Amino acid sequence: MKQYNNLYKKAALGISLALSIGTVASCTKSFLDVPEQGKQQSTVFWKTADDATAGVNAIYGNLRSWENTAFPAIAIESMGSDDADKGSTASDASFFLQFDQFTIDPDQGNIGGFWNGQYRNINYTNQVLDNVPGIAMDENLKARYLAEAKFVRAFSYFRLVRAFGGVPLRLHVPKDANTDFNLPRASVTEVYAQIEKDLTEAAAVLPPTYSAADIGRATKGAALTLHAKVAMYQKKWSDVLAYTNTVMGMGYGLLPNYEKVFRIENENSIESIFEIQCALLPNNKDASNSQYSQVQGVRGITGGGWGFNVPSANLAAAYETGDPRRDATIIFRGETTPSGDLIPATGDNPMYNQKSYVPFSLFVPNFNEGAQQNVRMLRYSDVLLMNAEAANELNNPTKAISSLEEVRNRARQGNATILPKVTTTDQAELRKAIYRERRVEFAMEFDRYFDVIRQGRGTEVFGSKEWKAGRNEVWPIPQTEIDLSGGVLVQNPGY
Amino acid sequence: MKRFFTRFSVLSILCLLFTNTAFAQNITVKGVVTDGLDKTTIPSVSIMVKGSTTGVQTDANGRYSINTTANSTLVFTYVGYVTQEIPVNGQGTINVVLTPSSQQLEQVVVIGYGTQRKIDVTGAVASLKGSEISKQASTNPVGALQGKIAGVSITNTGAPGSSPQIRIRGLGTIFGNQAPLYVVDGVWYNDINFLNPGDIENMSVLKDASAQSIYGIRAANGVVLITTKKGKSGTPTTISYDAYAGFQKVTNKVKMANAEEYATFTNELAVLNGGNPVFNNTSNLGAGTDWYDQILRNAFVTNHNVSVAGGTEKSTYNISLGYLDQDGIIQTNNYKRYTARVSNDIQLLKNLKVGYNITGVSGKSKDVPATIYHQLYSAAPSVPVFKSDGSYGDPNDQLLGDGANFNPQASLDFFNQQTKQNSVTGNIFAELKFAKHFAFKTSFGGEFGQMENRKYNPKYYATYAQKSDASILDIKRVETRNWIIENTLTYDNTFSENHNLTVLLGQSAQSNKAYTLNASAQNVPFNSDADLYLSLGDAATRSVADQGSLIKFASYFARANYSFKNKYMLNASIRADGASQFFGGNETWGYFPSVGTGWVITNEDFMKNQTVFSSLKLRGSWGMIGNASVPINPSQQLLDQTGNLVAIFNNTPFTGKSVNTLIPPAIVWEKGIGTDIGIEAAFLSNRLTVEADVYSRKTSRAIFKIPVLGSLGTKDNDLLGNQADIQNRGVELSAAWTNTTEGGLNYSIGGNISYNANKVLNVLSGETPIYSGSTGITNGSLATRTVAGDPIGMFYGYKVAGIFQNAAEIANSPTQASAAPGGFKYVDLNGDGKITSADRTVIGNPNPKYTYGVNTNFAYKNFDLALDFQGVAGVDIYNANLAYRFGNENITKDFFDNRWHGEGTSNTYPSANIGASANAAPNSFYVSSGSYFRVRNAQLGYTLPDGILNKWKIKKVRIYANAQNAINIFGYKGFSPEVGPVPTDNAEKIKTTIPNSLNAGLDANVYPLFATYNFGINLTF
Repeated sequence: MKQYNNLYKKAALGISLALSIGTVASCTKSFLDVPEQGKQQSTVFWKTADDATAGVNAIYGNLRSWENTAFPAIAIESMGSDDADKGSTASDASFFLQFDQFTIDPDQGNIGGFWNGQYRNINYTNQVLDNVPGIAMDENLKARYLAEAKFVRAFSYFRLVRAFGGVPLRLHVPKDANTDFNLPRASVTEVYAQIEKDLTEAAAVLPPTYSAADIGRATKGAALTLHAKVAMYQKKWSDVLAYTNTVMGMGYGLLPNYEKVFRIENENSIESIFEIQCALLPNNKDASNSQYSQVQGVRGITGGGWGFNVPSANLAAAYETGDPRRDATIIFRGETTPSGDLIPATGDNPMYNQKSYVPFSLFVPNFNEGAQQNVRMLRYSDVLLMNAEAANELNNPTKAISSLEEVRNRARQGNATILPKVTTTDQAELRKAIYRERRVEFAMEFDRYFDVIRQGRGTEVFGSKEWKAGRNEVWPIPQTEIDLSGGVLVQNPGY
Repeated sequence: MKRFFTRFSVLSILCLLFTNTAFAQNITVKGVVTDGLDKTTIPSVSIMVKGSTTGVQTDANGRYSINTTANSTLVFTYVGYVTQEIPVNGQGTINVVLTPSSQQLEQVVVIGYGTQRKIDVTGAVASLKGSEISKQASTNPVGALQGKIAGVSITNTGAPGSSPQIRIRGLGTIFGNQAPLYVVDGVWYNDINFLNPGDIENMSVLKDASAQSIYGIRAANGVVLITTKKGKSGTPTTISYDAYAGFQKVTNKVKMANAEEYATFTNELAVLNGGNPVFNNTSNLGAGTDWYDQILRNAFVTNHNVSVAGGTEKSTYNISLGYLDQDGIIQTNNYKRYTARVSNDIQLLKNLKVGYNITGVSGKSKDVPATIYHQLYSAAPSVPVFKSDGSYGDPNDQLLGDGANFNPQASLDFFNQQTKQNSVTGNIFAELKFAKHFAFKTSFGGEFGQMENRKYNPKYYATYAQKSDASILDIKRVETRNWIIENTLTYDNTFSENHNLTVLLGQSAQSNKAYTLNASAQNVPFNSDADLYLSLGDAATRSVADQGSLIKFASYFARANYSFKNKYMLNASIRADGASQFFGGNETWGYFPSVGTGWVITNEDFMKNQTVFSSLKLRGSWGMIGNASVPINPSQQLLDQTGNLVAIFNNTPFTGKSVNTLIPPAIVWEKGIGTDIGIEAAFLSNRLTVEADVYSRKTSRAIFKIPVLGSLGTKDNDLLGNQADIQNRGVELSAAWTNTTEGGLNYSIGGNISYNANKVLNVLSGETPIYSGSTGITNGSLATRTVAGDPIGMFYGYKVAGIFQNAAEIANSPTQASAAPGGFKYVDLNGDGKITSADRTVIGNPNPKYTYGVNTNFAYKNFDLALDFQGVAGVDIYNANLAYRFGNENITKDFFDNRWHGEGTSNTYPSANIGASANAAPNSFYVSSGSYFRVRNAQLGYTLPDGILNKWKIKKVRIYANAQNAINIFGYKGFSPEVGPVPTDNAEKIKTTIPNSLNAGLDANVYPLFATYNFGINLTF
């Protein structure tokens, strides 16, 4: 026991001494200087060319987000159109009906989802545009990175302005709650002016093509095509004509088979002007996050999907007799797809979107169905039809007919008995023909709803539902955003 | 020690001699002194002959023997018990039952870094004895506090192994961990789930800022001090065995619509949505499946506890082993916990004591999916559990779509997840007394923990929506490494008899580190658990991720306690805390002072002759506290490098990094400033005690996240900062009456009630209110509003005027978007003829105003009975379950019966389309009172008579039956008025989830309320 006592004594004395000394020493300032574990601080970023590269990568990566490609995009950009119905089962996600029937109220979450998603795109671009200029790096690469960011920023503002009208114009990373957090809505004109400025600057710098390793980045052709589209929404017809003419001389073309345009093997094809790049990476589920195909996929089949945003009967009836684009756009129940998938004859919906379809054999369990499918955002046929529309508005029917015919010719796929060439030179008749051509060529590609509004035909096309001129040209500003702005943001009329 | 004994003996003999000479008719009186409530014998009770200096003490077994005269009176006194005087009247044996007095001012209470006589305490400190805690069926010691202490409110979360929510004097802080700081034998914890209730000796709750201030850094939500059981020196080995077994049963089950009603409802919904009826025939469906009956069960629970305690003059020890086996009320859910605890104190030298407390705990749970509670609520009754061919009933057969597209039985059957938690925690200490008045104590403590979570999704097919074509194995490991070193120096002296001074100086340093590793692989085969290794999965699918956190604190503190003639007390303290979270900001260090004064009026000369008060004391205090439970380095802006920012060019991934948060404002310490005025009084020989407190606490610069404009483009649309000042004001009253009747009935009745009013003094974001409460459960709308002048997180929305009956009514009412017959008609508050967001108003308050408890104990002969009642009043609940719909979820029978289904059918309940966003928008229909009253605990015990025990060589045998939460009375139409957080999966819990108090009271998916019925035994050898 005595031995023990001594041992204890020594041990206790030793421990107390060690603890006292240890703690006194540790209570220096450095003890509390603990860096964040496993996370980098923003202050170390935006220093090198690699940082610039990573920052630009983030812009592209984020384009796959749910808000950019799934429910919010469907709700805002597709559901209102006469091409699309809600799909799925009757009661599932019934809020889509509010978009379909125009009974929407500003509290609906997908309005805010779309709004926030576009502003997230804008933030990632602003991060690059504010920070990359100060980085010492190859000046050509730097200029290209900035131009890529401007393209995506312009794209996002375009999606916002056609959905909501004038929106807050945020062109820099927000810095100070007192000055630049709570911005009022800019006018529609101001927003378009900014989009055009970004696109002009981007087109001046972006290369027409990239080497294989960079395929998927924004090109000069993408900037010009988007610029043409933006001009078209403003009825600046000579601009539309000029930009599309330029793109038509850049080497783009149409694939011979319309259906094949939307298959995995034809991603980034000669017809592609801009696509959101997606992939299925077995060891990186976070990066395999596109749900674009999943939410629209055929219900009830492994490898299919949730079955939302389905083609409407109205769309199925809109095609000319024998137009192969009807079968290429719509999956009908009971059919066997060109990729060889048999769609069961009975099930939830008579039709599904074939443009977002990915063959079921490519499904990988525990991943989103069709996660590998790129989203086609801008196609060459859009350039041609914009060219046709602009030429017709500028009283140049010959040019209009020629561009229109290029699109119809491909659609024919060599079958001379279908889709006769449009020959009328009457401006109104030709306009009608171009409108119809746009509808069937771009059906289920998230353009139809805004095309109809842009063409001033909202009441004519949607008037049987609750669509009201003077109100429904735009969707409501999200209620939460108005609440949070403390009255700085003013709701669109009628909501 | 030997010398002391000798001295003592000499003294006794002298005394005896004295008494012998003074009185002639002396006799020897013998007996046992026992506790009136738990029937244990009490050692060291002082027994004096009244009017003399003759006295003895009871021995370790509560036995005494005293020589006195036949006509004398014996006075039995013991700290914490009511003093008793018993005339000898010539009896040779006098067995005495002492009644505990929980509120006695002489009591010693545990305070921060020491103990104090209750009389000297100037703050609000309440204690609960270990026996009160272990008596209850709560598996977590915190649960035992419910209704026991004024100002302490508990919300049970129910799931086995989970910890109840505790709030001390209202909501003090918003962000992060809102639990109080737990200090167990000097080591700091955020949670005491590892602690076996049977190991607790005492629990002290520090309620006011002055008492908490000495723990400045983490005291914002209050402090609970726990001392564990230790052996007593000089007592022989005592072995105790305590065990109970019983079951938990769901009470107040919500009645859901049956199959026929559900089908009717679903058809109505489809038609309202412009579709076709889902069910062709509703009348042939009958009652269908009651999913609650199918999945819920009466769940078994058993708990065993063995402890061995004792001590010699030189050392004391206490060893205990605990085993808990608790089934969840959901099939297959089970939690087992093994605890082992060793504490050992050794008096090395006359002035040097060393010791340690070590607890090892091993918990293992068989988990159920967190979504199961909501599945049971929403599953379609028209779907059978199994079809006639034995396969699972499939909602897709009835084309029910989302919202009801699951078979809860299949959800359970194919869920294979277990969570293990192993930790060793404790401390070693040395205490040196020197120079007569000084004591130096050094303590090193820590926690060495590991949590293992394994989830395996097999390849299976159950129903259309519940299937998997590949298996996936997820493995998570969390390591916890915490340490704390504390050194204190205490000086204690009494000057010229009247001045008592205690000074404490201290220093503390601590580090909390956690590391989480997640890994997963697909196509892992399964023949047995032995196959569940990542290396058996497909190499290309293996992924790994990790994360960590490290926080350090450094602190210095000092305190002085002064009392004069036991009449006037002055306590003052200051603590300086440095926290790594605030390093690099403007305030790395926070300073937290406190001061308290007390006046024991009954010790004044002018009170000497009064007989009303046994004691009367006034006290007042002021203190400041801090909150370091904030995000790590909140002032730093971080880079996001997650997979969704990976760019893909030519099908090859490239890392993307960017900034998607706002630059955080310079965040400074969140501070609480509190004052407390209290009165403590005892009447009728301390039989009646009363304690009352009035308090006010202001939390300034509260840190939390608020939603920000979406147009800022941030990832989560929120921003952290010092956002608001919050005030909690309240009154607490507790009273206890303890008595023994002439018939031998020992009883005590205690009651407490507290009132708390919460108010936001200002919101630093200016006039702009903070909207929150959007957790998906309110369809994305912000259901709560926090604005200056109101309590925090008020429910905010439209006022319902009625239900639109027809198109004509809609046309004649203020314009309302998406108005439809059967939908809510909202009140046009601003009278502009339109229903807009400007018509929203406050529709409820989730902050409870009143909490109360009544606790009673009765003991008569060998029987004892305890009845505890408890309740909450003045609180609202937002029933988000009703409109939390994505499709064809089931509804409650109440909703079905009362719904609008055609003109004139209802003007209060909406149509089946309640989930439509116009109806689901936050409104007054969803708000109802959350007040409740319950019989918290009822226990009847019987202690076997001594005669039998002596034969068996057992000191004590007590058997009892206990019912917890057996009777609950409330008007709320949801499952439970105790709305805790939404249940999370154990795997999810591993992520640092941040509960948001701005969402308090939103009932989306709670654990059903259950009662526990137990039978138990206490044995002492």
